Amino acid sequence: MMQLSDVLSYTLVHATLRSTAPILLATIAAVISKQANIINMGIEGIMLFGAYTGYVVGYFTRSWVAGVLASVAVGTLLGMLVGCAHLKFKAHILVVGFAVNMLALAMTRFMLQQIFGVSGALVLPDPVSLPTIHIAALESSPVLSSLFSDYCFMEPIAILLVIALWLVLYKTSVGLHLRSVGLNEPSAMTAGIDIGRNKFMAITLSGLFAGLAGAYLSMGYSTMFVENMTNGRGYMALAAMNFGSGNPLFAMGGALIFGFMDSIGARLQSFGFPSQFVLMIPYVTTVVVLTIAMVSARRKEKAMILKQYRDGEKTVQTS
Amino acid sequence: MKGKIKLRPGFAAAMLFPFVFGAVLMLLLGYDPVEAYRELFKGAFVGNFNLGTTLEKFCPIFLTALAYCVTSKVKYFNMGVEGCFYLGALFSAGAGFLIQGLPWYIHIPICFLCGTLVGAVWAAIPGALRAYLNVNELCAALLMNYVAIHFANFMIAGPWSAKGASSQTAPIEKSAELLRIMKPSRANVGLFMALFLYAAIFWMFRRTKLGYRLNATGTNSYFTDYVGVDAKRMVLLATILSGAIGGFAGSIQTMGVYGTIIDGFSNNTAFDGMLASLIANNSFAQLPIYSFLIAALKSGALGMERFTGVPKALIDTLIPILILLLNMEGLFDFKHLRKRRKKKIAEIGKEGA
Amino acid sequence: MTLLPYIKLDHIVKQFGSVKAVDDCSIEVRKGEIFSLIGENGAGKSTMMKLLYGIHRPDQGLIQLDGQTLEDLTPQKAIACGIGMVHQEFMLVKEFTVLENIILGFEPKGPMGRIDFAAAREKVQRYIDDYSLDVQPDKLVQNISVGEAQRVEIIKTLYRGANVLILDEPTAVLTPGETKQFFDILRSMRDDGKTIIFISHKLHEVLEISDRIGVMRRGKYMATLDRPEATAEKLVNLMVGRNVEMSDRPSPCHPGPVVLEVQDLEVLGQRWLSTIKKVSFHLCAGEILGVAGVDGNGQSELVDAICGLRPILAGSVKLTGREMAGKKAGQLRKAGLAHIPEDRNTRGLNKEFTINENLVAIHLEEVSRGELLDRKKIAQKGKELIEKYDIRPADGELKAGTLSGGNAQKIVVAREIESGGKLLIAAQPTRGVDIGAIESIRGYLNRAKEQGVAVLLISADLDEIIALSDRIIVLHEGRISGELPGGDVDMERLGLLMTGGKSDEG
Repeated sequence: MMQLSDVLSYTLVHATLRSTAPILLATIAAVISKQANIINMGIEGIMLFGAYTGYVVGYFTRSWVAGVLASVAVGTLLGMLVGCAHLKFKAHILVVGFAVNMLALAMTRFMLQQIFGVSGALVLPDPVSLPTIHIAALESSPVLSSLFSDYCFMEPIAILLVIALWLVLYKTSVGLHLRSVGLNEPSAMTAGIDIGRNKFMAITLSGLFAGLAGAYLSMGYSTMFVENMTNGRGYMALAAMNFGSGNPLFAMGGALIFGFMDSIGARLQSFGFPSQFVLMIPYVTTVVVLTIAMVSARRKEKAMILKQYRDGEKTVQTS
Repeated sequence: MKGKIKLRPGFAAAMLFPFVFGAVLMLLLGYDPVEAYRELFKGAFVGNFNLGTTLEKFCPIFLTALAYCVTSKVKYFNMGVEGCFYLGALFSAGAGFLIQGLPWYIHIPICFLCGTLVGAVWAAIPGALRAYLNVNELCAALLMNYVAIHFANFMIAGPWSAKGASSQTAPIEKSAELLRIMKPSRANVGLFMALFLYAAIFWMFRRTKLGYRLNATGTNSYFTDYVGVDAKRMVLLATILSGAIGGFAGSIQTMGVYGTIIDGFSNNTAFDGMLASLIANNSFAQLPIYSFLIAALKSGALGMERFTGVPKALIDTLIPILILLLNMEGLFDFKHLRKRRKKKIAEIGKEGA
Repeated sequence: MTLLPYIKLDHIVKQFGSVKAVDDCSIEVRKGEIFSLIGENGAGKSTMMKLLYGIHRPDQGLIQLDGQTLEDLTPQKAIACGIGMVHQEFMLVKEFTVLENIILGFEPKGPMGRIDFAAAREKVQRYIDDYSLDVQPDKLVQNISVGEAQRVEIIKTLYRGANVLILDEPTAVLTPGETKQFFDILRSMRDDGKTIIFISHKLHEVLEISDRIGVMRRGKYMATLDRPEATAEKLVNLMVGRNVEMSDRPSPCHPGPVVLEVQDLEVLGQRWLSTIKKVSFHLCAGEILGVAGVDGNGQSELVDAICGLRPILAGSVKLTGREMAGKKAGQLRKAGLAHIPEDRNTRGLNKEFTINENLVAIHLEEVSRGELLDRKKIAQKGKELIEKYDIRPADGELKAGTLSGGNAQKIVVAREIESGGKLLIAAQPTRGVDIGAIESIRGYLNRAKEQGVAVLLISADLDEIIALSDRIIVLHEGRISGELPGGDVDMERLGLLMTGGKSDEG
């Protein structure tokens, strides 16, 4: 029978980080474009392209580096395409995003059929995968080894990238310019900041990171490619970004919650819980979390003004 | 509020380019593009079965496009129609085989009611969250699709399963089936219902107070609140209407096309609909045209695959490209480009002088 | 002061669509002077200066700075040439701190692209000290007052190395006291050798501060006057082209029963300054009550709360004796509220709708049968109001967004006055409207009063308040700082109340 202690054990930490990483990398993509006030729905499709490209290029070149580079290159190109269509040719960003997503679904399916003659899943013999970091010193302790060893190197890097992004956004002039473009275009323009260039840069970078997220998905998280394997992770990343209202650190919190629920679900399933309900968990969580975040943000804002009001009253009385 | 159809310059080029691209791809892969496109056309229009299949596919795409379009009038991007579509199909299937012994004129409305209501309720959840709590509808509605689909799959595989080899529910009663037209295709009278519903909603938006208020909400919600109409309620209302249409579309799919509900039957139908609405620039007048175009491509692709071996996925690849190009302003606006170049040359000349 | 032109705008033409915003204008500004550009709303003053700052490009004509022709001007290039502009709407990112706003685009950089905030702070502090500008660099812009925001804008232009400062209607948001201080700052900057271009439509301010004055009317440049030869009459003549006699006293008033009674009203505002704190007043039928005060002292919040568009924290709002606090806008309108909002572009009008559709927005019941809209009745109602209120062009099927400010405002005024409400709230009814329309809109308000409507007039324009109000209350920091009778208004006391002085001290 199912026991709670089997679900909630220390090994959950590792599992959570593992399922968080693809969402987290996509969240970086979502945050960057959001800072330029663009909702890039295309992250989902770019991820899928990235996953396919990385897996296939990695396999043929026998090098994960080449795979990752190819994913990133494809992601960047698609990001540029989205940017060009939206910024230069004024296409609706939702249309562009969704067109990319549908294109990704159809095109990867098409290529699976044409190149490998399979449909559904592509499992190549002896695929390349991203290296993991094994810390031999911890082998003696199963707990420490589970907590700190055998991570795919992308998992800690994703977290470092989030921190780096935060630093860039809030401490450098590149970040200041980008944020000003997203928050108040006329102000940025009168300060001589090139709005088009900043937006294009943001959306290109957003594509780059979405491609990277895809590479991790097919070469680190798993070692195969499955049709529609992103399965809404790009949208979850957008939700995480929303949850953190564009701040990468808070958005990481959102991504961690989704990753946590994802890994809990995976365990519940092995205890005979209907799989469909397990599969629902991350999506339901996301919606619930988003709602709670909005409600609490509203409460906080109200409380702050109320406090200001009361404090103001006090200072007036004392003066 | 006027639905005039105006073609942009470069429209023809944008329409043509994906097919040229497709042809090049086919040549590279060793297929005959002329043959393939002929079969595509035949597959879409020639013969009762083919034209019927196009109409069968047109119906849900058109209705989901309508569903998306309704909410877009209040500036709500309803990506959750797919979920409503699924649940509408599921619950009308449930009502279709669980309730027995009714005459068709009672059974069919009951099934429609089940599907429509469920769709409306499902869409109202993210609608209310957005209207009253300002939760981003893009994410909420979209993610709820997955919940709806997994729930439908659970019902299909579990409680309502036909217990057969393939994953589907028991077939609905004869009394719940919609009349087929254009046999042997699966086109059915649902098509007429869809057209009627479209006309009714089009009219509602142009001629009634509710339409006025919904239009006002979408174009300026501050104005709407200020003149004393609750804009939030209008948003909620529009999502309910949209969800109902989505559910209704699902019901037609169950009762008219499949007679049961199969695991994964929709395959992003509502997203095709959404894109049709988006290329139509959310104008009611243009909805049928683009919905039909997408339906024809989808149904023609089946024939093309069968007779020439060119995979259907190729057409699925061309559709988003087509959508993307149609949405870009001035991409193929050669006249404009030429004018600009001329101007530039003139400017350079002036500088030189 | 040299007499050679430092800035030269030569035969400038600028057209927006079919409207000639600037028609063959030439302006010369000398180095180290305060040059005022005066004219009515829509005369082309702002457009002219936006051309100089590179926001728009002239269709024809040359722009010269110190003898050099500036081509393909962009804000970026203008800044590089030492031209700075303080816009009417502040160009500040409200989520950023004051310091971040000042240095935006011109950040001192440390290693690895990091912003050297310490160096920036030091530099900014120098300007603060030089001109004794009261600014707190670490506050978020959304938490500072309008006056402070303006000083931030000025520091911003100085920080960017401006020698030429363009100030677009800078005093509109200031109290008389703050204006005086502000003029001192301008003078000390001029004495430092900066060239200042001051855009305004307030005569007395222009006469007080300028070295020379340029007048524009309807896109044309009328004349340049040296300060000694300029008089108010001369300027008005040049600005308007005729003598406008607007009454500066309210028409006789016969107040009826109390229509609106506000008691201990508390409303949360965007910021502390504009939060309404225990405000009480009443308003009778057939009376105009003016609410004076500097923008941002709670006027918008007060209006929104009374109109059911903003939640009320505490207190009561009674409309003809019925408690209305917490009711929604729709219910209030049914109870007899009419409301000319301060911002016609967002609230008052739906620019995507036609003129007719806008005119019937609150008369839907009247022009429909059941749920069904009656097109004929809409057209009829529209025609009637267009004629009565002289809205031009007189085509009800045109989109409201295509109309000029004055005519657009007339749509709002027509709709609201014709609603037959017992209470009319008129917030900034003539803001951004040309003189002809101002006259007629004020006339409509007076007529409404004579017909027994209770009118609450909120205006930042003191002349308007004085010309129309039977009684005046003054809002300061969300409180009523005093009440004055209409008619012969003690300007000094009014000014004092606007800056928060207690009325009994005046």
